Amino acid sequence: MATKATFTLSSTGLVSDNMNFSTDATLTQAGGAVDIANTSGLARKTTASTAQYTLFKADEYTSDRSNKLYLKNTSSTAAEYFTVSIDDETIGRLYAGDWALIPWSATGGTPAAFSVTFASSWAENDTAVFDGVTITLGSTETTAAMVDLVVAAQYPNWTVVETSSTVATFTAKDSNDLSLIEEGAASDDYVVTTAGSGTGTVARTVAPVASANDIKITPGQSANTVEYMLFHE
Amino acid sequence: MATTQATISLRSSDLIPSQVLSLTSSKRLLKAGSASEGVDHLDMGRVDIVTGTSFDLIDATALGLGKNNYIYIANKSTSESNFITISHVDRTIIMGRLYGGDFAFFPWSAHDAAHDIEVTAFNGTSTIEYAVFHEGKTLISAS
Repeated sequence: MATKATFTLSSTGLVSDNMNFSTDATLTQAGGAVDIANTSGLARKTTASTAQYTLFKADEYTSDRSNKLYLKNTSSTAAEYFTVSIDDETIGRLYAGDWALIPWSATGGTPAAFSVTFASSWAENDTAVFDGVTITLGSTETTAAMVDLVVAAQYPNWTVVETSSTVATFTAKDSNDLSLIEEGAASDDYVVTTAGSGTGTVARTVAPVASANDIKITPGQSANTVEYMLFHE
Repeated sequence: MATTQATISLRSSDLIPSQVLSLTSSKRLLKAGSASEGVDHLDMGRVDIVTGTSFDLIDATALGLGKNNYIYIANKSTSESNFITISHVDRTIIMGRLYGGDFAFFPWSAHDAAHDIEVTAFNGTSTIEYAVFHEGKTLISAS
């Protein structure tokens, strides 16, 4: 069995004739008859302030597919609402008991990237510090060994790959991080300390572009419970 | 007094095999913040959307601003590869795609004049059905 969504609308008094219609949809992947196979699961979040909350980050999903998002305001107080936005653009308000089924393109941004070129003579116990992670060179005193250690580490906010035996390239995990890494051999953001003549030269390679497609909600009151379920590819 | 009820049912036994999905939500469409007064205006239609041009399907109007407007759009194309995008602000914000057979139902604040609901067809003409349940709109004077 696939995932079926059924919409039913009934109305009396809106126009002179009573109105009833119903639509069935099978949630499929883009452009075909293959059932949609992934979901966030049905979840609830209770907000604690009227600040804006991000429910889903576009970066984390495949863009331009057949994603669908179900949202519901579980409040039973008529005046309570939250505003649904795609990034900073308001779609509308869901008042108490309201629900929505929204298609979502999940168009992510472009995460920042930079490279670090290691050169000259590195010595044991030389360090490179970035994103709260300290790399300390062991007894193999080569730039290649330093690069191996740098790319083997796990960074909270960045991924890293070895571009060559002397170059490591970092990519931000979140395109909404628009901070620019200081370039050069004396970067305050990527700090190398060496007892030898080793250098780590930073060069920005990709300028970040923030995602404009994150799903966000802004409660009209502090405590508001939203129920949601994302169907995605 | 209008009584309009919108109901969704989501069902699946194999999306999460260990947790059968059987969800139903039903809501009477009420005016913003009201506990009893139903939305009392309606626009609806069925149109063919050809490829190559973005169209304003629903105009944002001053009377709709900040009100409880609900939009229903269904792509009735029988081709599963034909899809429309729903967007606003001159396609700078693309909400998502409705493939043949898909539907959407969502609130709409008619945030400002740039927030018309736009549709664009891809891969072939899509026939769409739509309805806007709202609290009133600004009519355009005849020239």
